[in-house]
Amino acid sequence: MTCGIEDLVSADATLVSRRAFTDEAVYKLEKERIFGRAWLYLAHESELKASGDFVTTYMGETPVIVARGPDGRINASVNSCTHRGVAVCHVERGHASRFICPYHNWTFGMDGRLLAIPQQGKIERPVDKARLGLRQVPRVESYAGLIFGSFDPDVAPLEQYLGNMRFYLDNYFARFADGVEVVGAPHKWRLAANWKLPVENQLGDVGHGPFLHGAVLGGSDAIAEIEAYGFNMVPEPGHGAAIRLLPPETPLASRMWGSENGSASAFSAETQAFLLDTQRQMEDRLGSVHARIKGLTYGVYPNFSFLWANSTIRVSHPRGPGKVEYWSWWVVPAGAPESVKRELQGVYNGFFGPGGLLEQEDSDAWAQQYAGSAIDYMDDHPYYYGLGAGEEEVHPLLPGVAGSCYNEHYARQFYLRWQRDIAEGAAR
Amino acid sequence: MEQQHAIEQFYYREARMLDDRRFLAWLELLTEDVRYVIPTRHIRLGHLPARGGDEFHLVERELGGAEEAALREDRLPLLTIRAKRALAPNAWAENPPARTRRFITNVEIEDDDACAGEVRVLSNFMLSYSRHGADNHLYSGQRQDRLRRSEDGFRIAERRIVLDWNVVTAPTLALFF
Repeated sequence: MTCGIEDLVSADATLVSRRAFTDEAVYKLEKERIFGRAWLYLAHESELKASGDFVTTYMGETPVIVARGPDGRINASVNSCTHRGVAVCHVERGHASRFICPYHNWTFGMDGRLLAIPQQGKIERPVDKARLGLRQVPRVESYAGLIFGSFDPDVAPLEQYLGNMRFYLDNYFARFADGVEVVGAPHKWRLAANWKLPVENQLGDVGHGPFLHGAVLGGSDAIAEIEAYGFNMVPEPGHGAAIRLLPPETPLASRMWGSENGSASAFSAETQAFLLDTQRQMEDRLGSVHARIKGLTYGVYPNFSFLWANSTIRVSHPRGPGKVEYWSWWVVPAGAPESVKRELQGVYNGFFGPGGLLEQEDSDAWAQQYAGSAIDYMDDHPYYYGLGAGEEEVHPLLPGVAGSCYNEHYARQFYLRWQRDIAEGAAR
Repeated sequence: MEQQHAIEQFYYREARMLDDRRFLAWLELLTEDVRYVIPTRHIRLGHLPARGGDEFHLVERELGGAEEAALREDRLPLLTIRAKRALAPNAWAENPPARTRRFITNVEIEDDDACAGEVRVLSNFMLSYSRHGADNHLYSGQRQDRLRRSEDGFRIAERRIVLDWNVVTAPTLALFF
């Protein structure tokens, strides 16, 4: 690194060096000290209903299998044979009783235990199979159906790590009486961008909406609503929740999930009734503050994002400083009739995913921001993250620190935590 | 033969229209009830009961079903928004526009239902996409079309695009294949 970690983010985080996004040495530290330690999103419990169900994903660049084992517990194993390193699972999801390494057919159970070494019968000395299971992710915990894992055995419990973020997660994930489910495998696409750029966007950058997305959103009531009632909440440094807190007198149909500037009126009567009923039940269960909240974008440090209105979980998987593999899952109320789910699909894939109207603009912007970060002679021109600095305050109803919808404190707090994490080496 | 020739000519004209960025003219080639779908494509386990047979690795099983959110599931209103937006000065992902070239091959008439006035056609495509400097991309896949005959030629009633990718490595799928 040609500059120190202390030079990457200014003390008040109003300035962030372009090298934070492009430097190979910074990226190595991120893998060691962030992706090697933090809670990383693995899967949703609805994807692993029965023993033997599995999905494959990544923790940073490390491939992992997340499975429900024979004892019904969810575990995560590194997808690499302990004999010669070949991946033992080459598909994205499915149901199986064992994983067989292609090379020498070492065979592992759905909990990662080594079940069989086919060559063992041909040799004399016994091999201790108990020591040769797939490497286990030492901590796997769930919150509201969201499964996270950490390579750090001493990481704080997930609930504590999420802290005030739980309030905002509850607003969506505890909203539906029958919970939510993830449908299908994620959309996956690669971008020539640093992994933090999509994350930062969805931590709270609602301010780009009217501009980058002007051709889609220009002049819509959505922007006026966000500017009037929007808050960028920082529930804990590094996490973010951009929301709207609507006035208490807002009609039910305008404050319910599923309605963005009257869009619900385009749905069938069945879907509208489902959405209204869901909102009524949610308000009884979660109370009057949640009743007034309409979410926008969420982020859980370091690389989990959630779009509230469009019902999509996303994870930004790093692939070097200049590449990201972005994964995006569609989430639905588990109890909704199939016809209602079908109608809600377009709210997700019309706008988001690699073919979405909005996401194509975001994807292009992230790649162009990376290109701008990678140019030379710009060490004395860091990015400005100072919009709204010092204007944050405590809100009587909303947990965390509140800023207006254009206040960039969500990013300042993210980069301060990020800098602290990569600076903490062996001393930790 | 005549039918084959007419369909190929239709596809070539359509491809040229899109490469020439005449998106509004292209909309005229669609039926009112058009479905335009790009299903997800996943890497799955082989279907064990069919081991040893052609059904074991059926392509169709890799494609997301109706219950899954497709990569694209457009009807005429969304296609119209996309086409008009591509011509707007503040559509930042379209201005400046991509330079594209579409190659349509393997045109195969699958099923000609003369009574319904429709014909099912398979074709392969390659699409060369260039937008920012040297950042060039090549898409490939299959189109499964349902073409409807009208007084002045064919209209696209359905297009299902089967991509060869699991992870999309091109910058966007928000274009017309």
